[in-house]
Amino acid sequence: MFNLKERLMLTDKGWKDLKKAIAACTLTNLSLMIPFGVTIQVFAELLKPLTGSEISWNRMWMLFGLGLVGFVLVFLASKNDYKKTYVVSYMESEATRIKVAELIRKLPMSFFNNKNLSELTTNIMGDCATAEHVLSHLIPQLFANGISLTIVCVLLSLFDWRLALTVFCTVPIAFLIIFLSRKLQRRMGEKHVAAKLDASDQVQEYLEGIKVIKSSGLLGEKFSALKDSLKLMMRRAMKMEVGTGIFVTGAQMILQAGIGLTVFFGTYLLTGGEIELVPLLMFFLIVVRIYGPILTELTLLPELFYMRVSTERMRTLFSTPIMEGDAERPVKSYDIAFENVSFSYGGEQGEEAIRDMSVTIPANAITALVGPSGSGKSTVSRLIARFWDVNKGRVTVGGVDVRTLDPEHLMSYMSFVFQDVVLFNDTVYNNIRIGNMNASEEQVRAAARAACCDEFVERLPQGYQTMLGENGSTLSGGERQRISIARALLKNAPIVLLDEATASLDPENEVLIQQAISTLIEGKTVVVIAHRLRTVAGADKIIVIDKGRAVEQGTHEELMQRHGLYERLFSIQQESLGWSV
Amino acid sequence: MKTQEGSERQPKTGSARLLELAATKKPLIIGAGFLSALASVVSFVPFVAIYYIVREIVGAYPGFDLLDSEKVIRLGWLAFGGVIGNILLYFAALMCSHLAAFGTLYQLKLNFAYHIARLPLGFHLGYGSGKLRKVMDENIEKIEGFIAHQFPDIVASFVAPVVMLVILFAFDWRFGLAALAGIAVSLFVEFRAYGNDSAKKMMDNYQASLEEMNNASVEYIRGISVVKAFRQTVFSFRSLHDTIKKYTSFVLPYTLSWENYMSLFMTLINHIYLFILPVGILIGMRATDYASFAQTFIFYLIFVPSISSVLMKIMYVSSGMMQISGGVERMDSVLNEKVLPEPQKERRSLGSDIVFEDVSFSYEGSGAPALNHVSFAAKQGQVTAIVGPSGSGKSTIAHLIPRFYDVSGGRIFVGGTDIRDMELATLMDKVSFVFQDVFLFKQSIMENIRIGNQGASDEEIIAAAKAAQCHEFIKRLPQGYHTVIGTRGVHLSGGERQRIAIARAIVKNAPILVLDEATAFADPENEHLIQKAFEKLIQNKTVIIIAHRLSTVRGADKIIVMKEGAAVEQGTHDELVRAGGKYSEMWKMYTSSLHWKMSRAGREVHV
Repeated sequence: MFNLKERLMLTDKGWKDLKKAIAACTLTNLSLMIPFGVTIQVFAELLKPLTGSEISWNRMWMLFGLGLVGFVLVFLASKNDYKKTYVVSYMESEATRIKVAELIRKLPMSFFNNKNLSELTTNIMGDCATAEHVLSHLIPQLFANGISLTIVCVLLSLFDWRLALTVFCTVPIAFLIIFLSRKLQRRMGEKHVAAKLDASDQVQEYLEGIKVIKSSGLLGEKFSALKDSLKLMMRRAMKMEVGTGIFVTGAQMILQAGIGLTVFFGTYLLTGGEIELVPLLMFFLIVVRIYGPILTELTLLPELFYMRVSTERMRTLFSTPIMEGDAERPVKSYDIAFENVSFSYGGEQGEEAIRDMSVTIPANAITALVGPSGSGKSTVSRLIARFWDVNKGRVTVGGVDVRTLDPEHLMSYMSFVFQDVVLFNDTVYNNIRIGNMNASEEQVRAAARAACCDEFVERLPQGYQTMLGENGSTLSGGERQRISIARALLKNAPIVLLDEATASLDPENEVLIQQAISTLIEGKTVVVIAHRLRTVAGADKIIVIDKGRAVEQGTHEELMQRHGLYERLFSIQQESLGWSV
Repeated sequence: MKTQEGSERQPKTGSARLLELAATKKPLIIGAGFLSALASVVSFVPFVAIYYIVREIVGAYPGFDLLDSEKVIRLGWLAFGGVIGNILLYFAALMCSHLAAFGTLYQLKLNFAYHIARLPLGFHLGYGSGKLRKVMDENIEKIEGFIAHQFPDIVASFVAPVVMLVILFAFDWRFGLAALAGIAVSLFVEFRAYGNDSAKKMMDNYQASLEEMNNASVEYIRGISVVKAFRQTVFSFRSLHDTIKKYTSFVLPYTLSWENYMSLFMTLINHIYLFILPVGILIGMRATDYASFAQTFIFYLIFVPSISSVLMKIMYVSSGMMQISGGVERMDSVLNEKVLPEPQKERRSLGSDIVFEDVSFSYEGSGAPALNHVSFAAKQGQVTAIVGPSGSGKSTIAHLIPRFYDVSGGRIFVGGTDIRDMELATLMDKVSFVFQDVFLFKQSIMENIRIGNQGASDEEIIAAAKAAQCHEFIKRLPQGYHTVIGTRGVHLSGGERQRIAIARAIVKNAPILVLDEATAFADPENEHLIQKAFEKLIQNKTVIIIAHRLSTVRGADKIIVMKEGAAVEQGTHDELVRAGGKYSEMWKMYTSSLHWKMSRAGREVHV
């Protein structure tokens, strides 16, 4: 029907262990028939005097003894099954977690620029916990119940096929209801999950935008996006619950109607002399208990459908193509070239961010990328680092197509200083050491000093051993920037990609960062995305990008003489520099 | 909307607190409890019916001529009705409890959101949005499980044993006693497993190590791009790998430590019949009325298996109770944070001067004051600039005006009234803010601008966008003003975002404007446009501008120079440069930074 192993994304060992767990569970279920069999025998013995024969009390005691033996067997079987199911589920979810972590490590950088996808990844780690539950409780029980019910069904029909049919005739109807409503339930489940994710997004927005929320007086339900999404989530949840509930309840009622049917039909058969009393009592005994496990099946099934939503999520993740390439091939020189490169973030059909671009970036020189916002400057630097792969043409570093290189290997030749600095919930020291885990303490300190971090780190309560809070929220923008420069210094890669991000800094900070950058770029191949044109006027080469094309190239003087876009941008900026309130 | 004021409430914990939360939907909760109790009573009806059927049949056995088949049919219907009744009642109970649960969650989340927005900003920075989101997304969500599922089950698990015991003793007390012994032994085993303190501690440890692992994975994913850039994935993968391993190596033995108890419990509840069997034999050996003994004995043998489901339910309820209270505690700890107090009676404020009178302020947990006896006045219709190195207290000033924090000493007046004597809404109406870090919501551009003034018409918004130099780029977006921020292919540059923030302020049109000079990430063209937008915005307003680039504020009516939390100099640009103090030093540094260029030594450029 479907490939369970594939569907649950199990390892080979996990699949084997799961099968064992199912077998253990089945064994427990079957062992539970011992008390049942003993009870039937007790019935038979008890009824003997009524038909004139003698009851054997010794035999009754023997049955009791048999029951005690059964007790021990059931205990052993449950122990076995408890151990098997839990071990398999924990081991398996551990394997999945590691697999997810391993995969994430290999995903292309582009993946992480997409916020939704990285959120998805976060959710997936949570999904592993759900999978744990499914494996430990749902699946073994589901299958074991199925198997043991089939066995019981066969055994019962050996006694009396008509009554067995009566007991089980409601089962297919109940299952049919669940099966037919599956699609509907799934759709409601998906809708609910979507509403939940959306609400969670809105909560995040509300929290991140708390300053705007506060200063615009949009507290609580006045922020209608939050209110609406929470309301939608509530509605969807209710709908799902009622929808699922109606089908499950309906199926339950039909299923349990079997009790009534068995009583009627059994009595009818008994009075007609078609069946003995002992088998009938056995059916009575069974009919009040058999629907329990079947009901579990009925309730577990929808849960399994619901579970599919999260396995789908995992599937999406695992189907993301990873970038591969040669991890050994050395890059000998560091000149970078774009040859007829076209690229769009949306794949082949999307609007092109880079159009048929051919430029060269010389080694051991400073090359500046300038242009209006949205012109594609940042894209160029992302393509060099192979955060994305080009659609057409090729990007080479030292003459080697970057697509033939393993991304991490390529990365070892590059340092980045970008605007958004990610800091870890760790010490300042370790945050800098990220640049090179093999660096000695002296090297780390030297890099920090060269990046002008020393001065502010010393002021922190525990100096370099101070823990930075969530994403280093305690540091100012300038300080964060300097940490990222220190990282890059420590890495000491031959190519430096720089987003000139001396953003909202006060003059002191700015001077410090300028010093740090000067140290960083010494003797390196530098690609700088420039915002302030004056800063890069001294670059060896300036590439002016507009609407995804390289429209002008040359030194500052050459470009000024061309009276093109560069000259226009430059003069606007000069003007705005002089602006004052 | 009711808000929860932590200080005034008797703190309740655990399930009492959960019930208190659920009580907001009282009729539904009572309905759910009642229906669930009824359902569990009705669930025993089939057994009683079967008892009477067995009695009828065994009484007539082996000949059936005496059998009252009409009575048997009636009893059959009774059994059937009991089954269906139980299902329907339980379904109804669950529906009530779910409606109550979802409604409660919705209200709780809104209350929570409202509450946290009234907390000082420091709380948000300290607590972290991730953790707060977790409280809303996960911890509050857990209450659903309690109200929707556990509550009806708790009721049932109180009612069912009572009914069960009544039935057990009603027909023959000796069998009843035997069954009770079996139940007692099972419950004893269960409480040995769940009831003791070490189990509770284990559960806490388990939750903690689960959380540790989840945090490690979130951190891993968040930092992966950096880690990749520095080629440290193996290292960071290792550390996550270890946490995962650690979790398993903790949780597995923990789970397996219950192995014997759980298995024994499961075995016991399926073998209650072994308790009544010897009793039955002993009674039967001396029975005078054998037929009635047989009827009763058979009934008990049929009935006792049903005890197992009742005991199972009790087990699930009690194990579930252990997990649930943690979530609420977290929510309560946030709800117990003190909100910024609002005045009982509002004082009117006239005009739009801003006056800082001897204001001191320190951030929680840091010793040095961020502001130290700062006094200045920003006059109506004038531009007052605040400059100084980072950490000098500039941004703190901007944060105190909207009461993101309350001052520790001194007073801040807006229009002559202490801002703590104004309602927050009034204060916010008077002041517009444009911060450095522009936050755009994942809504349409139109809605994002409307944040400034919920009552603004589309025309007013477009006019504001035009004034803020946004119109051009908005028009170029795929759906114009209806383009939703954050959708695929919509990327706004820092400068464009800034202009939207300015449009927000324009549409709000408040008499006071607090600007964090935010020509930050802008590229040249943008910068020029932003400046034009600013010019529109600041006309005839009381403006306080936190300046980073000194050239911007040369023309300000007043410049206040901050240093280490104190206002060290005040005056116009020319005055301050002439004075030769801190400002003139900064000005020199600024001009030199302007001339910095990225270039190789020896390459000279003249611009």
